[in-house]
Amino acid sequence: MKPGLIFILSLIALTSICDTINQLFLKSAINSLKISLTANIVKILQFIIRLIRTPRVWVGFLFSVLSLCIWLFVLSKVDLNYAFSADSMHYIFIAFASRHVLKENVGFKRWAGTIFIIIGIILVSLS
Amino acid sequence: MFKKKLTLKILSVLIFSDLLETFTQFCFKKSTFSQSEFYITGLLDSVVFLKGVFSSPFLWVGLLSVALTFIIWSTILSKIDLSVAVPIASFSYILVPLVSIIFLHEKISALRWLGIFFILAGVIFVSLSSREKEANLE
Repeated sequence: MKPGLIFILSLIALTSICDTINQLFLKSAINSLKISLTANIVKILQFIIRLIRTPRVWVGFLFSVLSLCIWLFVLSKVDLNYAFSADSMHYIFIAFASRHVLKENVGFKRWAGTIFIIIGIILVSLS
Repeated sequence: MFKKKLTLKILSVLIFSDLLETFTQFCFKKSTFSQSEFYITGLLDSVVFLKGVFSSPFLWVGLLSVALTFIIWSTILSKIDLSVAVPIASFSYILVPLVSIIFLHEKISALRWLGIFFILAGVIFVSLSSREKEANLE
């Protein structure tokens, strides 16, 4: 592992956390709208307009802008293939957040998948 | 809640969104090339850094591509289940390294490929778990 990689990994973790926070706000905003699933394009547009008028979406958006800025800095420092692979750690944060913040059920398969991703990130970082 | 099976049309749209995601990352990486020697020590530096990156046309093409991906995904998810869409979408974990090798001249060792396949397997497992949940809802 190259020196400074821990710093870059922490930054990637930070973008993943920002992404996760964005997803949580988006999910909670969508949940609050209580919409039914539809393929009707007019209904989808109406839904998007209602979504944009929800303040929680904007809080999430701010986090995604922050995430993009950190991501661009990471890309200026390391190879794209490394950064993109390591960014898969957002699946881990989302699994934890779904469990503890949204109180969703996280099953065996999801934990197994999460462990696979952790092993993958370690292997990618070692090489 | 009834959703259609994966058709050839949806599959092509999904693969297109994979390519778009890969293209986005390629653009973002390209936009930072001029700033690769930049070291951020303070808040002012980060403004200068972002100014440099945002002045690259690659960044704006990348952002456009993000918006397009978002629209395509919203449409896909109204047609098929997440547990079907995500494993196909996760092919970008293979596509991005391939593009990195071909267009960005990055090198990828065997150990890193092994890691990438672990990540891919993990992402597929994680998305399959949402199938159980969807099945319980019905």
